[in-house]
Amino acid sequence: MSLQRPNRVLITGVSNPLGAEVARRLVPQVPYLFGCDVKDPISALEEMDFVHADTRHAAIGKLVRQLNVDTIVHLAVMVDSPRDERSIHETDVIGMMNVLAGCSAPSGRVRRLIVKSSQAIYGAGPGDPSFFSEEMTNVERQASSVTRDLLDMEQLVTEFALRNESSKVSVLRLGFRVSEDTTLARYLSLPIVPTFAGFDPRLQLLHEDDAAEAIVRAVMGGHAGIFNVAAGGVVLLSQAIAIMGGSPAPILPPYGRWIGRLALRALTRVEVQAHLADVIAFGSVMDCSRLEAEFGWKPAHSSRAVMDGLARGKVLEVIEAPSPPQEYELQVYLQRRRRDGRNGQRTASMLEAHK
Amino acid sequence: MIQAKSPKQRRKDSTRAEIVKPKSGPRLAKSVKRLQQQAPLLPFQGLSELSVRLRQLTGRDVIDLNRVMEFAQFMYKQRELAVRGPNYEVDDFGFDPQWTESFISVFMVLYRDYWRVETTGVENVPATGRALLVSNHAGVLPWDGTMIKTAVFAEHSHPRHVRALVASLYMGMPMLSWFLRRTGQTVGHPDDTRRLLERDELVLVFPEGVRGSGKSFKDRYQLRRFGRGGFVATAIRSGAPIIPVSVVGSEEIYPMVADLAPVAKFFGLPYFPITPFWPWLGPLGMIPLPSKWHIRFHSPIHVEEHPPEAADDNNLVMALSDQVRDTIQQGIYDNLKLRRGVFL
Repeated sequence: MSLQRPNRVLITGVSNPLGAEVARRLVPQVPYLFGCDVKDPISALEEMDFVHADTRHAAIGKLVRQLNVDTIVHLAVMVDSPRDERSIHETDVIGMMNVLAGCSAPSGRVRRLIVKSSQAIYGAGPGDPSFFSEEMTNVERQASSVTRDLLDMEQLVTEFALRNESSKVSVLRLGFRVSEDTTLARYLSLPIVPTFAGFDPRLQLLHEDDAAEAIVRAVMGGHAGIFNVAAGGVVLLSQAIAIMGGSPAPILPPYGRWIGRLALRALTRVEVQAHLADVIAFGSVMDCSRLEAEFGWKPAHSSRAVMDGLARGKVLEVIEAPSPPQEYELQVYLQRRRRDGRNGQRTASMLEAHK
Repeated sequence: MIQAKSPKQRRKDSTRAEIVKPKSGPRLAKSVKRLQQQAPLLPFQGLSELSVRLRQLTGRDVIDLNRVMEFAQFMYKQRELAVRGPNYEVDDFGFDPQWTESFISVFMVLYRDYWRVETTGVENVPATGRALLVSNHAGVLPWDGTMIKTAVFAEHSHPRHVRALVASLYMGMPMLSWFLRRTGQTVGHPDDTRRLLERDELVLVFPEGVRGSGKSFKDRYQLRRFGRGGFVATAIRSGAPIIPVSVVGSEEIYPMVADLAPVAKFFGLPYFPITPFWPWLGPLGMIPLPSKWHIRFHSPIHVEEHPPEAADDNNLVMALSDQVRDTIQQGIYDNLKLRRGVFL
């Protein structure tokens, strides 16, 4: 079963930059590629069939069955988002439930499931080990709602994997990324960066290209299990700020994380989530040895290189420029024509319907 | 890297020189400029001359020029650190060797002049490869850890950085956590110990933990329980020899007469010491007393001869743990007998 290559692949959350990059890389490798998201795609891919679908509705399960997909890449997981806790919970946990419901239907043919998770699942604290292995998630720590949601989500995935042993389920815990206008990138790019007084934690980052590459490798390789994906090496927070050309200002109180978050929002208008505030205070580093052993690959950029790249402004530019709306319409039209051409007898009726 | 160019190439590459406006204001005489350049060296010249005079007068070294040079070196290193900006590497634990070494002269003053540490058996510490140093823990603040680190770095023929394991409590403290991480310490977590040993580092553990450092003055030099022998299990799994270290003198730096448990509980500390000076004298009470120290590195206990599976054998682990504890206790008694007085 493991030798079977993915045939019909569905990417959820394809409209975020990471999803777009994964789709772009998967196009030459898989015969049929479908993408779904709530928003319009940021880059037009002729070979990918795009559909507006929301993972928060049970309709996604129907979509999975109707499209007859055998591989799902679930990227519609919000970690670093300005949205409120409620909607993040809806997307992460309920969305995952709906996708899994689609996978576990009796007639389902889903053989591979790749789920995007995040380093935020570990949280960060003073007593934590210097490296997080895959099994070191801390259920007791309920400080951050994102951490809690991700734990819930992975719990669902683990249960699914236990029930369906024929499916290969891989969960990729991606490290913190500083491209595409993430909160961490905006925080580090401030001219004067308020930090928690007396703390200089280690940061571990992940390059956007490496994140996409890891997901593509998981799709093609079919590795089962949970994997930490993050760059090698660490950067100190003060170092990262200096690389960005800013200067650290240790003015946030060392105790009471929420006061610090409020002060940060008032001073800089950067809203740092609870889990990220802990990371900025204590640091969080993952151990990626399992990824290296199983995938035979490790991220090409080190944390330092990611930071240097951000400083040069090269990582910041989106991989493909967002296409204007009319171009998107054109792509949709072309896709429809191509599809209709494939089963020709329906062309006339389709044209009729669009008049 | 700047590459030497041939004069021809230099003429070819050069652009037209910019016209720079001469500096306004009074021009300094050449002699004054020369004096400005030489100014940083003048105090050293003066000091060396003074020291020669004083030696001639009194017949002994009043000003030790070695110390003066150490101070100059310290200042120079600090300037070097300021210049390097963000262009340095830390290891995965956040350890910055260059930064740490710049402070060694400060700790050397404590080591040599303040506590007059006498170190024996430092040759038992391997020059390369992994080893687990196990020491007794005393004194309210972990000065014994810094002194063991300084001893290995200063006295060993092959200077090495010791990576101590710290209670997670200290890692949550501002400033302290930053300093500890940067100088190579990490959290006392079995996983961290294993990782450090697998990287062939020298790791220092205090199995007594806060029970050792927070014991009162009347219990001095009586070792507490060595945890549950977890350090032995980790050493066996990682194949690292255990080197017991006895420290004498650390008990007297803060004679703790009482422990205010409710205050400690309020601040989330393991103990709140009352000494003859703290908290009565405020920050002055935090100055440690100048007791005389002895550090003894014992010969290694080769636990790596056991197979890794032996780490699950509780009998063996507890027996080895007791052996390490007895070695350290014996070393403490031996050094206490040698000591003429607490402050001598």
